Amino acid sequence: MERFVSDPLVVPAAEKGYEWSSAELLIYGVDHSGPSYEVRVFIDTPDADVQTPLTVEAGYAGCFTVFGHGGCFGDDDHCDPNARYSDDYDVRLPHQSVPQTKVVSVTEALLEAEGDAVQVTLVAVEPTDDGPRASDAFKADEVRLVTYAGAGDVDPQEEPGASLDS
Amino acid sequence: MMRRRDADERSYARFAGLHGLPLPVECQHGTPLFLPWHRAFLFFFERAMRDRVPTATLAWWNWATPDEQRGTVPRLFGDQSVGSASNPLFSAPVSQRALQQGEAGGQPAPGPSTVRRPGNSGRRLPRASEVRDLVETRDFRTFNARLEEMHGQVHMWSGGHMQLIPFSGFDPIFWAHHSMVDRLWRLWQIRHNAPGPPRELWDQALPPFPMTVAQTLDVTLLGYDYASSTASQPVA
Repeated sequence: MERFVSDPLVVPAAEKGYEWSSAELLIYGVDHSGPSYEVRVFIDTPDADVQTPLTVEAGYAGCFTVFGHGGCFGDDDHCDPNARYSDDYDVRLPHQSVPQTKVVSVTEALLEAEGDAVQVTLVAVEPTDDGPRASDAFKADEVRLVTYAGAGDVDPQEEPGASLDS
Repeated sequence: MMRRRDADERSYARFAGLHGLPLPVECQHGTPLFLPWHRAFLFFFERAMRDRVPTATLAWWNWATPDEQRGTVPRLFGDQSVGSASNPLFSAPVSQRALQQGEAGGQPAPGPSTVRRPGNSGRRLPRASEVRDLVETRDFRTFNARLEEMHGQVHMWSGGHMQLIPFSGFDPIFWAHHSMVDRLWRLWQIRHNAPGPPRELWDQALPPFPMTVAQTLDVTLLGYDYASSTASQPVA
């Protein structure tokens, strides 16, 4: 997908009146089997796209990079982690196509946001000879917004997530 | 090494191909083995270099860039020629088998010899301040993930073959880029007086290299280190 716009994600600390010092966006199940691309993260900027400025004022929070495998060069099932039988005696390294988890620090942008919930927009971009352009290579399972308490703060128990399938 | 035949296990093409094409793709990304595997990779590549020139060493590309700059490719790798000769660090040929497998798999290489498109990602190289913050990261898993992300940004910034796992190892600047990554792990180890990878990984082998994670932890036992500074003067 080129863009993903989440439902409002509760900022757990804000909802409970807790203090927090830092925040991360966790992106689970990121596919890296295709081309390389970058995903730009925006807070409360649901119409963000490849042209949106990368500034806190525009809601830009950070990015992550996917160094992609470029496709499958083997035979059937070559890049399917589920095609491998594994048990306690399997000493092979993990299958290289297992989806990854990415972490983006979003503290600064989240501090700028208002209210107890924010919308997260993910914009996939790939470099070309004509500069960056939208990419449909991005696939993932879930995004999760997590806040962390600092010294003297109270650590919230709940961490809301949003499925990319919904 | 570039002059050796591709089938020779000491050739540049053989080492370059270990990272991506031709199959099998051996590199480790997105796991705690990212740093140990690439350190083993650099070690055996440098051994092969020394088979040709015993004093040869890998150089690191310090891509940490001042805030006011966007970064450039060092002239050592960016100049097309050295005197009247072509610069072998500017571009290198991709092996025929890698090219053929890329075509067959629907991901053709950007060209039969490596090219770069620095800055096409629209981004800049990592800031020096970001690199300093990175080394200060206490938790190794966080450091590992942040360093791998920074490493990916440099691949993307470089463009061309460098932004593609199947072909990036063929670009001569790949080795300098990964030497910088390896150097930052070394700086982290010194800063925090710790090896990094968790103990349960130490006995893990790093195929295709005859080395375990434990054997990668101390670069001085591998016969190298990263200089903090140098000073030299020609002797007339």
